[in-house]
Amino acid sequence: MPFREKSAWIMSAALSAGGLVYFRPVVSAWSESGELISPGLPLLLTYAGFLVAIAVVGHIVAVALAPNDADAPADERERQIFDRAGHYASYVFAAGIVISLGLYIFSNSGDLLFYTVFTSLLAGQIVEYLFQILFYRTSV
Amino acid sequence: MARKPPITNRVRELREQHGAMTQAELGNAIGVTRQTVIAIEQNRYSPSLDSAFRIARLFGVGLEDVFSWEE
Repeated sequence: MPFREKSAWIMSAALSAGGLVYFRPVVSAWSESGELISPGLPLLLTYAGFLVAIAVVGHIVAVALAPNDADAPADERERQIFDRAGHYASYVFAAGIVISLGLYIFSNSGDLLFYTVFTSLLAGQIVEYLFQILFYRTSV
Repeated sequence: MARKPPITNRVRELREQHGAMTQAELGNAIGVTRQTVIAIEQNRYSPSLDSAFRIARLFGVGLEDVFSWEE
């Protein structure tokens, strides 16, 4: 498996797990009280720390398994893979932002806007890595 | 999205004729990864014109001896 495909697996897993860590207390509080908790820095820092820890450890292991692959620059096929994956992911991100703005107009809730934009960002990134994996395994 | 390109090739055959050159050796010679050579041989990826010429020149043949368009 190419190093950058391993990297895409690591990052999609890290982002998905990080998303669970971040949104579990938010959804839990919302289902109990029926109200959204305001976005706070401690939860965001927990998410960031979790994401960085998984990404760093995962990449250290991936580099240790194939040090030469990790050093090599992306070739022409890989550059096409990244371009196309980024292209499709941009639609997911844009759709999420449009939905977020629509929700804000109707709810007037800044907290909801924060969470939906954050979700769009997360979903866009995860989709980008999943498309990279798909293109690595099929045709570009 | 992810459609198989209509270009077939004889890269694997030529590689085996040239002293059983490995996919990694071919990749190093033309500046792509081994995985990209595998994708080219399996017709999952059509190389750039630049890489196509590099492959043909490496094997000492013309471009159309390596690649052909499948109707």
